[in-house]
Amino acid sequence: MKKNLKVIGKPIPKHDARSRITGEAVYGHDIVLPHMLHGVILRTEHPSAIIESIDVSAAKKLPGVVCVITADDVDVNNISYKRDHPILKKNEVNCIRDEIAAVAAETKEIARQALKLIKVKYKIRKGIYDPHEALKKDAPQINKFIGGKFSNKNIAETFHYEHGNLAEEKKKSAVTITRRFTLPRVTHACMATSNITAHYTKTDKKLLLYSSTQVPFLYQRDMAHALKMNPSDIRIIQPVIGGGFGSKLDMYPFEPICALLSIKTGRPVQILYSREEEFIASPTRQPMIIDLTVGADAKGNFTFREINIIKDNGAYTSWGATTPFVIMQAFSSLYKIPACCFDAMAVYTNNVFAGSFRGYGNPQATFALERMIDLLADELGMGKAEIRLLNANEKGEVTGQGLHYETCGHKECLETVIAKSHFKKKKSPEKSGRYKRGIGLASMLHVGGGAKIYRSDGCGTTVKIDPYGFCTVITGSTEIGQGSETVLAMMAAEELGIDLNKIKIINTDTDVKPWDVGVHASRTSFVAGNSLLGAIKILKEKLNKKAAQLLNTNDSYFDYENGNIYLQNTNGGEPANAKKNSVLKKNSEIPDSSFVKLDKVVREMHFGEPNELAIASYFYEPSSKFQDKTFKGNVSGTYAFASQSIEVEVDTYTGNVKVLDIYVAQDVGKVLNPLLLDGQIEGGILQGVGYALSEELLVKEGRILNPNFHNYKMLTAADIPNIHFYPVETNDKQGPYGAKGVGEAPLIPTAAAIANAVCNALAIELLDLPVTPEKILKALAEKEKLKKQTV
Amino acid sequence: MDFNIITPVTVKELLGTMKKFQKKKFRFGAGCTDLLMELKRNPEENLTVINLSRVKDPLFTGIKKSAAGFRFGAMLTAHKIMVNEEIRNNFKVLHEAAESLASTQIRQVATVGGNVCTASPSGDMACALVALEADCEILGITGKKGMVPITGFFTGVRKTVLKKNELLCGIFVPAKNKKSKNIYSGFVKIGTRQSMECSVVSLAYHIQADAGGKIIHAGVAIGSSAPTIRFAEDAAHYLVGKKFENISVNERKEFAARVLTYATPIDDLRATAWYRKEVLFNISKAIFENDAKNSR
Ligand SMILES: Cc1cc2nc3c(=O)[nH]c(=O)nc-3n(C[C@H](O)[C@H](O)[C@H](O)COP(=O)(O)OP(=O)(O)OC[C@H]3O[C@@H](n4cnc5c(N)ncnc54)[C@H](O)[C@@H]3O)c2cc1C
Repeated sequence: MKKNLKVIGKPIPKHDARSRITGEAVYGHDIVLPHMLHGVILRTEHPSAIIESIDVSAAKKLPGVVCVITADDVDVNNISYKRDHPILKKNEVNCIRDEIAAVAAETKEIARQALKLIKVKYKIRKGIYDPHEALKKDAPQINKFIGGKFSNKNIAETFHYEHGNLAEEKKKSAVTITRRFTLPRVTHACMATSNITAHYTKTDKKLLLYSSTQVPFLYQRDMAHALKMNPSDIRIIQPVIGGGFGSKLDMYPFEPICALLSIKTGRPVQILYSREEEFIASPTRQPMIIDLTVGADAKGNFTFREINIIKDNGAYTSWGATTPFVIMQAFSSLYKIPACCFDAMAVYTNNVFAGSFRGYGNPQATFALERMIDLLADELGMGKAEIRLLNANEKGEVTGQGLHYETCGHKECLETVIAKSHFKKKKSPEKSGRYKRGIGLASMLHVGGGAKIYRSDGCGTTVKIDPYGFCTVITGSTEIGQGSETVLAMMAAEELGIDLNKIKIINTDTDVKPWDVGVHASRTSFVAGNSLLGAIKILKEKLNKKAAQLLNTNDSYFDYENGNIYLQNTNGGEPANAKKNSVLKKNSEIPDSSFVKLDKVVREMHFGEPNELAIASYFYEPSSKFQDKTFKGNVSGTYAFASQSIEVEVDTYTGNVKVLDIYVAQDVGKVLNPLLLDGQIEGGILQGVGYALSEELLVKEGRILNPNFHNYKMLTAADIPNIHFYPVETNDKQGPYGAKGVGEAPLIPTAAAIANAVCNALAIELLDLPVTPEKILKALAEKEKLKKQTV
Repeated sequence: MDFNIITPVTVKELLGTMKKFQKKKFRFGAGCTDLLMELKRNPEENLTVINLSRVKDPLFTGIKKSAAGFRFGAMLTAHKIMVNEEIRNNFKVLHEAAESLASTQIRQVATVGGNVCTASPSGDMACALVALEADCEILGITGKKGMVPITGFFTGVRKTVLKKNELLCGIFVPAKNKKSKNIYSGFVKIGTRQSMECSVVSLAYHIQADAGGKIIHAGVAIGSSAPTIRFAEDAAHYLVGKKFENISVNERKEFAARVLTYATPIDDLRATAWYRKEVLFNISKAIFENDAKNSR
């Protein structure tokens, strides 16, 4: 790999920034096809009920209505990670999102009018909205599609993990603390609401889907299973995606429903969610209750962690049920920990079902873990920085779970934020006054080189160069706004020595692009980047051969720069820089035996004997391993670490928390593009601040009470605190140019650090999120009451 | 949401349109930032919206200062109120209320008339106007004008005294007391977000003192604490005769307790009644502290 990087590491703006800002970008909502119909979905009125009858006759008669479907009209399989989710519900409903019927009509208005004409008779049942209730022996079975596999009929999934000698470590512990943490339901609230356009052509029986999925190849397979079709007859085109954050990792009923409407009518059909529907019917982060017991010896060394988690699964199971893969990593491997015993279960309820969300369980785990470290420090009378530094992870460590930290910036991240935020100076807040300041610390560990959960964690790439010297990168990976297209283009520009504007990225069509597992686990720059570099390496071997021929040399060492291929001076091992510069100064028309133009090489390949294409493909599979049945193994190509130190000011009159400064240090391996990296950090942090302080999808008896931005308190640009970011470069040899995944990390420790800061400011104990003004005033009032009682 | 729109451009046309629609269903639309939300929630059939935004007449869009006070048209946007120097210098409470409303984009279209006529207990500019003891200037279908004190304008949640043949054309804010030399004026809005936030509770105050700092007149209003914005008369009276700078800790509490007697808040999604009362008490007494403004 090249040493003097020309493009990588430079603050290059997102190449699609202009088209997104000007409105030129074509999102799913912008798609209009000839003869297109508009689909809408009738959802249940009750979260738990028997369906006695469905009468669609009046809806069918409405002029402009082309098709109405219910479960009886379709021959399909269940969907979801556990195949426990019927696309259209029959006999009973179990969740307020449940789809009962769907209409395709000439206009949206007609379609909506038709919904009102559908008559459904319900027999309302008492639902179960608390996972603990669902676990009771006499509770009815909520999801009838799986069952019998676990000790209780309402358990959807369980995980057990352990390492070390728990009993021994408990004995060694000078302090032991137990607490229960409660984490809320929050939602992605993507800028673009859920959307799909389906186009089934009856003549060739092929289905074309314009879909915002994050995992096009898994989606294609899932869709085929649902519709009982051949996967290859389904082509997925991804329009510009207006936000993913994990929400598009699963396929949801509206997608096969749209396909079914198109199959029935033979016309294109589009379904677009309204904002309210988006809040009600798109997935959420897992709400969970975490019972955590931790210990430390007298010196502050962590001894053990014992974890019991109950997750509210909702009525159906999504990929979100597998978040314990990530949660257990945080508990088993963030900071050195001799013994760990972890149990988690996902429990069916009649609530809305949870899905996957940036961080994948890690924000919840890290909140509990890092709050607990503060409590331990208090109990031991130790500094909150000291206890963390003492236990921080190190390079070369193989954790109890088998994660191998070939590089590890944990300590450096901690030291950086502690120093930059003057943590030690600020940690004792002033005692009086209306406004109280506090400071809090938290770290995180996350996969940084993909995660081997699926059979392959790989990505394919094809690179071709045209006779004009332009390069097309056909990558399996997906752009969801994170900037992967830009970073991949930068890598190609770097390696091929051509201008960025000569690089085109094709990444939206399953009929064209090679396989990739999808965009998640902060994996794209790492996995798709390595895949691209692999393809370019192969392509260069071909180009080098031709270049050598044209330059009449047997050498095989070349430099790619300025659109030229230069012969390397291999004697001294140093590139022929001096020569190159003198060449450039000369009239480039004059033939020089030291270089040849890249486009000429390609033309000679295409048109000279033996005719050959300047094209190469490569499939990259990370070196990571599947975990064994006990969840042990090196699951990722590399690991990312981060620490945040956050200063807050609490208004004790109102309970409002103002986040003043956030100091972030993150082990990113290597900065590929500082501008895009800042974007990930700032966006992630604001999502983290929202998780800490304001966001919560309020649910009562299965119904969502705040399905709008008015009452769902997502923060805005005006709420962004001062962010001070210090990238830590550990140059992981597995990563492209040394880079690790960065996407999820910035949000993971934020809520924990903010809660720690608030507790530091007010000397209260907070165990729940979000930390609302009301909770703060209540805690202060209780503290006051206690003080009075003890006086 | 489906409706017809009629856009009169003169007052005469406006009154003519109103006449024509007396027997039909119609609504006024100013900036439509409340109206559209409402119609989305509760669509009405055969509805006509009389669009006020193109009526170019000082009656609706002008600002006029006189010895008696300050008159401005109902169609002035929150943005225009916010950037008006006179308002900033003389009625800081209104300036701050306009500044705290929604976001830059919404402030370009949201009008003060709409904020008052929507009669929401959480209306920010409306709350400031109650503290300022403003009058509402009402235009009848015949062209006749009348005045109603703003405290009498609201009759319930989203209800006003306006009849079908009337609309609000302007707001009159009485000039300050002649002896008034020191003005303590401000708007305290409590919510979660820095922008796009509807108040959980709000407090508007406009307190005038003489050269010696003695309070000669006070206006205090609370929002999101009762079915309508309330003028806390008893609390305001309590201040008269006291020196603003010398109000003791106990007097602050007494003042806050009196403000609280006007509050009959409810539990809703955004906060409990308990929280609203706690905070209202705290921010009321904080008027007299150095760091009176909420930090957010
Ligand atoms: C995203 C968002 C954020 C918001 N944030 C805030 C906020 O922070 N604080 C706040 O106070 N409000 C807020 N609002 C509410 C709204 O913007 C304000 O109340 C605004 O001042 C209303 O003015 P408008 O011109 O848009 O009124 P419109 O929507 O046009 O009208 C509101 C009502 O008043 C009637 N009306 C309007 N003008 C007249 C008139 N001259 N005579 C008689 N009737 C009339 C209309 O028929 C309608 O019933 C917000 C709204 C939105 C959508």
